[in-house]
Amino acid sequence: MGYRERHAIPDLGVGVGLRSAHIVHVLRERPAMDWFEIISENFFAEGGVARAHLDAARAHYPLVPHGVSLSIGGTDSIDRDHLSRLRALVRRVRPPWCSDHLCWTGAAGLDVHDLLPMPYTRETLAHVVERVRRVQGELETPFALENASSYMEYRESTMTEHQFLAELAYRADCGILLDVNNVFVSAYNHGFDANAYVDAIPGDRVVQMHLAGHTDKGTHLLDTHSDHVRDQVWELYRRAIGRCGAVSTLVEWDENIPTWSVLEAEGRAARTVRDEVLGATTKVRPC
Amino acid sequence: MLDPRDGSLAGLQRFITDAVRSGTASPLDPHRAQGADRVLVAGKHGLSPADRLEIYREQFWVRHVSNLIDDFPTLGWVIGAPAFREVASGYLTAHPPRTWNLQRLGADLPAFIASEPRWASDRLAVDASRLDWAFMEAFDAPDASPLDLSPLAGATEDAVTTARLRFHPSMRRLAFHHPVHEVREATKRGDARERPAPRNVRVVVWRDATFAVRATSVEPIAFDLLAELSAGAPLGQACEAVANANGVSTPAGELGERVGAWFQDWTANGWVSEVAIAR
Repeated sequence: MGYRERHAIPDLGVGVGLRSAHIVHVLRERPAMDWFEIISENFFAEGGVARAHLDAARAHYPLVPHGVSLSIGGTDSIDRDHLSRLRALVRRVRPPWCSDHLCWTGAAGLDVHDLLPMPYTRETLAHVVERVRRVQGELETPFALENASSYMEYRESTMTEHQFLAELAYRADCGILLDVNNVFVSAYNHGFDANAYVDAIPGDRVVQMHLAGHTDKGTHLLDTHSDHVRDQVWELYRRAIGRCGAVSTLVEWDENIPTWSVLEAEGRAARTVRDEVLGATTKVRPC
Repeated sequence: MLDPRDGSLAGLQRFITDAVRSGTASPLDPHRAQGADRVLVAGKHGLSPADRLEIYREQFWVRHVSNLIDDFPTLGWVIGAPAFREVASGYLTAHPPRTWNLQRLGADLPAFIASEPRWASDRLAVDASRLDWAFMEAFDAPDASPLDLSPLAGATEDAVTTARLRFHPSMRRLAFHHPVHEVREATKRGDARERPAPRNVRVVVWRDATFAVRATSVEPIAFDLLAELSAGAPLGQACEAVANANGVSTPAGELGERVGAWFQDWTANGWVSEVAIAR
């Protein structure tokens, strides 16, 4: 039995990231949308408008928390405050899974608020496996790690990122959030084959996919979430969904955030590709 | 400089953390660039290991300075954008981020401004930084239960005298040398024109029922009474202390009448979250 089946991970369809620029519109108009992803840390406060919006949104849509600050690959202790707030959020939202990134965010008590890549070695794998197990034990909810986009690689790495991620998912028994745009960005930046990466990811472990736009900086691609999904990324998504089957898909847009209608159309584009590949016609979930 | 090759993952992460948050406008220094050569792959598109680390370093400064610009709009207006960027860089060097919570990034900025020789004597700048931070704190402070005034119904005068008030967790009381809350409002409207003349004001910042964070000035004596009550003093004792300090008659007289009006304002604003009366 595969991971998704064992943990009863549903296919939520196609969603978008719920950002403050659109939240009032979403709560007022309740547009048809299968589901929303929320940035976990934006909803950690014990009060205020974010908490109120969270409670209003979860009454009408499935929500899935996605974190950016757990630092699962870090060497500082896992932040107890962060983890207890994440656990409280998960208990409030009751999502089918939650996620963060395969990365580290700082060291020696400092936090640079970035998704820094790991050296991919046997030693770091054992380190991350142990931390993922601890987090899953605390959350009591399926937990998935996303492949982060990266701009540097370490000399000491002895495994590829996809090998590391696949083995991590198997040994820690966690899910994978496959960010298709990140695969494309990192493949360009490091010169590996994006198709081979997608082909090597264990499909049954993939609980969710991400799509987003990136920026070409000339010497490298920067994962900015600031534009439409690029054609090459749509092609890679087509390949990924073909391998993994009906997996919940989410469009991220975090900079130069467009109007709701533009974001909604990007979600529809993802649905079209998904339906073409899966040979099915799915209807957007009405609110 | 940290040695990136002490053989441990922790050592590697300390080196990169240190490099990513180094400097401000200039690229990686030569020592750190050499360290990058030892641990990172050069890879594609002509980027050296140092160039690759530089991508993260640049993002560190862009992200954190821009966060501070968003969080301190009044201070930004008071000292101007170029000076604010300098302040932000100095602040982030002196107080590097130590928590996952970006909302807390500017927690020490008011104290930093107040201790910086260039700005310490600029009381408007110091006031602005404190007001902006109060807004940040109020924004996501814990909620309070709706106020229940039923304990007051039928309470004797003696019981009211011993009542203790609890205030909304978002409420902040601040004393300023300038009407800086008016500057913040004008900045928000886009019609801030000139620095205001000095004027001592007492301001309350709070999050209202619609989750908007607001600021309003209060009379000094009401401000003092709020301070006494917030510290846990019973109503009667708080009034007496404030009356004595301000040279006005005791609750039975002038102050008593004003307290009633203030209490109505405070409850209407949502400042009072609980009235506890001993039975």
